[in-house]
Amino acid sequence: MPTQIVMDHTGDTRHVFDANDVEALAKAEERFKSLVGKGSTPAVRGPAGEVRITRSFDPTAQETLFYPRLVGG
Amino acid sequence: MFANKLLTAIRMPWTVGRAFRDRCVALSRALTGEDDREGRGTMLLREWLSPEQCAQFDANKWFDVIGCDTGKRYRIRYGRAANVVEISEEDCPVVGWCFVPRGPLVAGDVMLAQKIALESDEHAALSVAQPFPVQAPLHIRA
Repeated sequence: MPTQIVMDHTGDTRHVFDANDVEALAKAEERFKSLVGKGSTPAVRGPAGEVRITRSFDPTAQETLFYPRLVGG
Repeated sequence: MFANKLLTAIRMPWTVGRAFRDRCVALSRALTGEDDREGRGTMLLREWLSPEQCAQFDANKWFDVIGCDTGKRYRIRYGRAANVVEISEEDCPVVGWCFVPRGPLVAGDVMLAQKIALESDEHAALSVAQPFPVQAPLHIRA
């Protein structure tokens, strides 16, 4: 099942959704847009393990990871 | 037994103090759930590392990444700040880069965000990063 992984103070929070469920899919897309709107960066991992940053919601991605906006230390 | 411990405490108060402090820290971490959070962060990091990076991390608590734009190599050490160092072809530290994801994240999360940023959007990561000087290890210095 596709999973959205959001980094937070607990380590991470995972949201699993059924890509065939229209309502769940809409909710996942809304979460994607909300997190990106707050400055988070979404990254997906391909079948071979390669990681890339994505800019749009991909309902077929098995794992989408969100990390907060980067700032200089 | 007790007398021996007392004698040790009197002779080496700094050692006993450090042990006591370590126990307090461990207890605090267990009670606040910090150990769990750190563990979850490390587990997530390991899931997203390549096999080579995972082996480096297991052996050294650091791993190397290649910047997608410049091809430069960076070493990401275990930590939450000032833990990224650019590495030369001779395996010497060149310059440190300090950039972190905003918010109270655990070390594993910070390291994973740094890895993805350097491997997928290096220029953007370095545009917010603050450089800091690093010293080569003693055995490498002339």
